[in-house]
Amino acid sequence: MSALGEVLRQLLRFGLYAGVQVLLVGQLSLFGLGWCLLYLGFILFLPLRTPIAVLLLLGFAMGLAMDISYNTGGLHAAAAVLLAYLRPWVLRLLTPRDGYDAQDTVNVHQMGWQWFLVYLLLLVSLHHLAYFFLELGSFQHPLRTLARVGVSILFTSTALLIVQLLFFPVRRSRS
Amino acid sequence: MRNLLAFLLRFQGVMLFVLLEVVSLFLFITNSSYQRAAFFNSANAYAGVVLARRTEVADYFQLANLNKQLLADNARLRQRLYPPDFTRREADSLPVGRDTLGHIIYRHLRPDLATLATQVAAPAAGDRMATSKPDTLLLGSVRLAARDDAYPLLPARVISNSLRAVDNYLTLNVGAADGVQPGLGVLSAGGVVGQVKAVSQHYATVFSLLHSKMAVAAKIKRDGTFGSVKWPGDDYSSALLDYIPRQNRLVRGDSVVTSGYNSVFPEGVFVGTIESFEKEPDKNFWTVHLRLGVDFSRLTYVYVVHNRPHTERDSLEATLTAPEPKPAKVPLTKLPRR
Repeated sequence: MSALGEVLRQLLRFGLYAGVQVLLVGQLSLFGLGWCLLYLGFILFLPLRTPIAVLLLLGFAMGLAMDISYNTGGLHAAAAVLLAYLRPWVLRLLTPRDGYDAQDTVNVHQMGWQWFLVYLLLLVSLHHLAYFFLELGSFQHPLRTLARVGVSILFTSTALLIVQLLFFPVRRSRS
Repeated sequence: MRNLLAFLLRFQGVMLFVLLEVVSLFLFITNSSYQRAAFFNSANAYAGVVLARRTEVADYFQLANLNKQLLADNARLRQRLYPPDFTRREADSLPVGRDTLGHIIYRHLRPDLATLATQVAAPAAGDRMATSKPDTLLLGSVRLAARDDAYPLLPARVISNSLRAVDNYLTLNVGAADGVQPGLGVLSAGGVVGQVKAVSQHYATVFSLLHSKMAVAAKIKRDGTFGSVKWPGDDYSSALLDYIPRQNRLVRGDSVVTSGYNSVFPEGVFVGTIESFEKEPDKNFWTVHLRLGVDFSRLTYVYVVHNRPHTERDSLEATLTAPEPKPAKVPLTKLPRR
């Protein structure tokens, strides 16, 4: 795919994730505690070979877009940048025996359930821990905050898994 | 030079990461104290329009609920007709502009309709104020004059509201064009809602009472003990009343109202009722739990108020301290020493 086409495609994805988050998913809550941060999918499902600088800038942009609609200053941005920074590390950690293929993407059908679930849960958990403890600004109510983190991880991960199953193409799995 | 470039390229990830983190943390920390980054909140025109549109759509799905509320309101109003109690007129929602289909009018989205609505309301009796607004509104069990031109009560529609964050904000569909300024109080029929944080032309962002840095100067109505209402950050229907001396006697079910000390809200506006209280061994004050009068989960219509002596008080107090717009706080020095 040409470079311009790729840029356009990512812009479209940016708009879709941000729009769905603000207009639809942001209103929902699980048990009155958890929150679905669907927009993380934008950063998590970027192509594997995205340069780190682009990744960080896109994470920052997405975080700021969320901050503007949720009045959180730079909270979403800080957590999203952290997520973008950690992503290559987790990818390196999870490298298959023979390395990533050129056509590999973050896709549950291609990379396998085990790979995908570890990738998703690890990154979403790190992001949510950072997000909720930053938001609190202290460790005053650890149990309550941990409950919020846990429920939110559950909610976000389930939503992102559904996104994967619905919108990502089933191809021949890796041999 | 080549070495420097190589170094920069090698560590571009770390450096960009640190830079972006510092920027976002700076924005986060300065966010609650001052609207320095005025762009970064939902009062800005673009986010506001999006939120307004979302509210328009969501309204359709709430019609059943709204009908139920209207039924309840009607029943209450009918009941009120029988005792001729005309002094307790309460308008929950009426003066917000609506077009002929009952949609809320967002002035700048459809300016022609907005002017039309005011024109329709105006000429009937010749006196516009008399037809479109009642003379007093019962807000948080206090009667406030609605017709005072110097201190208008501004009806507004909540277009965005959060409950689950540590710092919660509301977005209203009124802005600087309607005379809203940062620092004004926001009330609803149920009681205290919050304080205006930032305004744009047509939208305003409000510190909800459910904000970790928001404190409302309050008093117990029965004996006038002063305290300060804070939200501890868990349940959106309850709050804490701080600084009640331990030797005071408390009663469950007592009303807590604003004291008018922080010159944001008029005196006597309902905040909540005392639900429980306990002595904690390591504290000098009672730990008092309040049940809030406002149900934040279904807040739809609110009023922006000017506190009457506000301007004069502020100019007087400004000579003592250097002011900076902040969420209302009760300075400890103002508490009565007993």
